[in-house]
Amino acid sequence: MANDKMKERIIELLSAALPLVDLESDFLFSELDSLGVTTILMLLSEEYGIVLDAKDATPRNLKNIDAIVRMVEGKLRR
Amino acid sequence: MLLLDSIARFARLMPDKPAIITATEMLTYSDLHRRVCERADRLKAEGLREGQPYSFPATQDADFIVIYLAVYLCRAFYPLHTTGTTGASKSVIISDEAWTANAENLIDRFGFTPDLLFIICGPLSHLGSLSKIHPTLMTGGTLYIMDSLKDLNAFFKPFKDPPLPSIKGRKTFNRFASFLVPSSIRMLLQFAREELAAVAHRIAFIETGAAPIAQHDMELLCKVLPHSRLFNTYASTETGIVCSYEFSRYGCRPGVVGKPMKHSSVRIGEDGRVICAGATLMTGYVDNPEATARVLVDGEVHTADLGFIDDDGMLHLLGRDDDIINTGGYKVNPIEVEDAVSACPLVRDCICVPAPHPVLGTAPKLLYVPAPDCEVKPRAIAEFLKARLESYKIPLFYESVEAIRCTFNGKPDRKAYRVKG
Repeated sequence: MANDKMKERIIELLSAALPLVDLESDFLFSELDSLGVTTILMLLSEEYGIVLDAKDATPRNLKNIDAIVRMVEGKLRR
Repeated sequence: MLLLDSIARFARLMPDKPAIITATEMLTYSDLHRRVCERADRLKAEGLREGQPYSFPATQDADFIVIYLAVYLCRAFYPLHTTGTTGASKSVIISDEAWTANAENLIDRFGFTPDLLFIICGPLSHLGSLSKIHPTLMTGGTLYIMDSLKDLNAFFKPFKDPPLPSIKGRKTFNRFASFLVPSSIRMLLQFAREELAAVAHRIAFIETGAAPIAQHDMELLCKVLPHSRLFNTYASTETGIVCSYEFSRYGCRPGVVGKPMKHSSVRIGEDGRVICAGATLMTGYVDNPEATARVLVDGEVHTADLGFIDDDGMLHLLGRDDDIINTGGYKVNPIEVEDAVSACPLVRDCICVPAPHPVLGTAPKLLYVPAPDCEVKPRAIAEFLKARLESYKIPLFYESVEAIRCTFNGKPDRKAYRVKG
């Protein structure tokens, strides 16, 4: 189960920056364009002080909000 | 079309040389020539005639280039859509001769060669990427077409050894180039800097343009790509590709777009606007002689860009003398956005203004007054606009306000909001 508080905060951050993207979707990656992917990487890097790069922007990591939360948690653990 | 003559010649001289590569497909010069001729025959049979516009979806694949070239082989033309110098959406006629002049400008200044692989990662419906088909194929080079930069890793696939599976029986490419809008450069520098540095010695040149590039990004790009030639270009759909400035050689100076290229000239009008002349100019707007006459005057295109020319003959850009918002290289007319919002029952009044954006440089922002008794979520406005506007025109920022400031004659006071930001 994804960290609920983190999930809530990420939804809050992303819905303000990506007003057109359906963040509830299980096909989130396919909804994103290059700006959307970059925006997610930038916002999460800043918010959680983690280093994210192009290799992290995979369809698997950006499949849905839960996958994004898991990616951030994984980075924070390192 | 000179380009088609070149393709026919290369199809004879080096039939197996890759002309176009995508993630799933490779067309040799022989394949390309055959498919263009076949498609042109079909288009003629379907009734396409000389001088006609022929629109079709700009897909990021080899088939788009085949149809595009077939249209010109029929002596018809592919209209490019633009917001352009007057703000309203229009279709632009670019003649065969203008495309050739654009290509010769680029070949002369940048160094297109037969061993070059040119990476196209921007939309082929726009001049920035479409214009690179011509110099690449006129010099016997190879085009690599990507969908977009959504997967930044895909940019580096053709550098790998072996490269893409679609490149059959082909050794590794060693000379690369690309056109990247400033927001794409920022994305690569921020999230793929190590990958970019690892292939730096194989990148011959990078051209940027369509929007202002920040000095910091120019300097960082010079550091990451110390051996590459890096250009900032001045171009528009109406003017063609007019000036370029090699900032990796002459210094990172924001707003400097260099000297006119061989088929172009520029001067500054009395109102401070940039005026362009030469063989790269558009023929006019499709079915819109009034708009054409406003922009194309005595063989010169009068732009909405403000600038000056320094003592060395370099053109400097100072911004635009109108309200068009340049977001990542796309031009957005705020009036078009406001007109679309005006049909939204959730909003009583609004104004669309430029706002700073960390990747795009600038993005449209909507200040809106909610309709009485309405609790408005920005997402609802964005959803409403989704069906009415192209995605890049939909505001990325929203702010609820009590009223929209107007000028004495009742129009939204854009200047006041522009100063405030």
